[in-house]
Amino acid sequence: MKYRSHGGTPPPPPELQLIANFLNKFKAPLIIVLVVLIGARTSFYTVEPDEEAVVIRLGRYISTQGPGPHFKIPFGVDDITKVKTQVVHQLEFGFKTTDSRPAVTKYSKREYVRESLMLTGDLNVADVEWVVQYQISDPFKYLFRTSQPVKNIRDISESIMRRVVGDRLVTEVLTTGRAEIAGDAKMLMQEVLNKYDMGIRITTIKLQDVNPPKAVQASFNEVNSAKQEQEKMLNQAEKSYNRVIPEAKGKAEQLIAEAEGYAQEVVNRAIGDTKRFDDLASEYNKAPAITEKRIFLETMESLYKRMKGITIVDQKIKGLLPIFSKQEDVK
Amino acid sequence: MKNSSLGILLPLLGIAVLLSLWSGMYIVTEGRQAIITQLGKPVGEPINEAGLYFKIPFIQETKFVDKRILTWDGLPNQVTAKDKKFINVDTTARWRIIDTLKFIQTGQNEAGAKSKLDSILDGATRDVISSQNLVEAVRNSNSIIEKIEEKKAEIERKKKAGEPIVEEEVSGEIAKIDVGREQLSQMILRKAKDDLANLGIELIDVQLRRISYEQSVEKKVYERMISERQRIAEKIRSIGKGEKAKIEGRINKELKQIESQAYKQAEIIKGKADAKAAAIYSKSLNKNRKFYDFTRSMEAYKKSLSEDTKLILSSETEFFKYLR
Repeated sequence: MKYRSHGGTPPPPPELQLIANFLNKFKAPLIIVLVVLIGARTSFYTVEPDEEAVVIRLGRYISTQGPGPHFKIPFGVDDITKVKTQVVHQLEFGFKTTDSRPAVTKYSKREYVRESLMLTGDLNVADVEWVVQYQISDPFKYLFRTSQPVKNIRDISESIMRRVVGDRLVTEVLTTGRAEIAGDAKMLMQEVLNKYDMGIRITTIKLQDVNPPKAVQASFNEVNSAKQEQEKMLNQAEKSYNRVIPEAKGKAEQLIAEAEGYAQEVVNRAIGDTKRFDDLASEYNKAPAITEKRIFLETMESLYKRMKGITIVDQKIKGLLPIFSKQEDVK
Repeated sequence: MKNSSLGILLPLLGIAVLLSLWSGMYIVTEGRQAIITQLGKPVGEPINEAGLYFKIPFIQETKFVDKRILTWDGLPNQVTAKDKKFINVDTTARWRIIDTLKFIQTGQNEAGAKSKLDSILDGATRDVISSQNLVEAVRNSNSIIEKIEEKKAEIERKKKAGEPIVEEEVSGEIAKIDVGREQLSQMILRKAKDDLANLGIELIDVQLRRISYEQSVEKKVYERMISERQRIAEKIRSIGKGEKAKIEGRINKELKQIESQAYKQAEIIKGKADAKAAAIYSKSLNKNRKFYDFTRSMEAYKKSLSEDTKLILSSETEFFKYLR
């Protein structure tokens, strides 16, 4: 380039003229230096520890590079795409974490109800929320096998979750089936994704809130409270059983023990009585008349002694009331 | 003059060579495939491998299409299942261009292909779903029926063993299925496959992403679910009451058993003792009848006559013999 002064235009300042002259002189070496500098600047790259880099040379896949610094051919010959292979990615279904920074993570559910409402095998409806966690196991396949890998994972996850829930009863989905559902879904999902060969490995599927739809929640709670009521009733009945029966058993034993006591008493008395009688009788038999007399008198004596009013009537005395009165107060 | 014309020609020639090189060179990147057209007509085989290629400059043109698996997402369809249930069916599908030539010849680009897929897949989905009962699109197997059988057997076993039961009845409609969800997807796939093959498209799979009740039906289903739950709750409560009554009955039964058993045993023991005592008495007394008669009378007088008894006695009695 050369500056020629034309009629109207004033000549450029001499300093600029100097720089222009200098540049003109060293045109070729300057361009070479620039090219080398740009080439050097763009011919290496760094792969972070949680990444892998896919190297595409002139459109063609060459290799996948691990973490660390690497060289490449500059000027658009080698194209590098970095993929986070060590990171566990998470997809949420039926809700969305809107902000995980505050202490309490906020969720939004409203718009995602359609995603989580699904038909169960008994044609009831359940509201199932879940998360899928996955890792990119093959970055090249992840980039080039499918056009929308994340959308595919979402679609398949929704489809598979409905398939798994569709083979179960609503009560199973809501209560005992959680772990099994997650396990089955993970297995089936991986199967489908393997078919696409898209470089994705599902690490976990976890069920989150699983509820009956809002409109029917109250009636499900009623079933639960009925169950508790049932349990309470049974407990009460068991309690009164435990209160009544052992006491009755104790009383029964008491009754029997008393009867046995009575039996001993009656027999012992009989033996005692008869022994005494036998002894007496054998003495009596030695002298019956006098013994009889003695006992009679002794008995009468003890009898009359105690008594307060005895009237003795002498039949030989006539007219008069022949009374001998034995009275304590008169004495 | 000669020199100056060469001075102009040489750079021009250089530029021409560079331009034709530039125009004759093309790169097919991974995930893409290309076809060469000459004056609008396709030439040669499609290029499926990524890399750097050359073509005749200026005359030939390259057309690129996607080689990756592409995603089709349909709008939810309102379909009436064979059993007259109104449902919304939302399907997705995966597809790819396998015949680049055909794809381009039939005048496709990706947007055009999407609208073709829309009409073909929507139609196929509608046909297949409406020819089956709803349950075929929900369940994939009859394992649920086996489970119900197991549950019933379990309840029977518990009933026999006399364990308390918290019965939760199976709700909803459990019909046997003949086809199942995956098979329906396959049917849709088969139906749409041939039409799409004519467009150079391979349909990889069709997924029934969401199947839901139509809103008016949903309301009725919810009502049914509510009444079912209430019925189940009632049943659980009444089972509870029944079990309670059973236990109370058992209490009364055992109580009577225990009490009467004890009474019986006590009476037997007492009776035996009484009998034994009587035997002892009679054996001893029989030997001395007269003496017993006398002593027992004496004893009876002593015991039966109290201090307050008023006696009027004749002086003729044996006792007063000497008073006379």
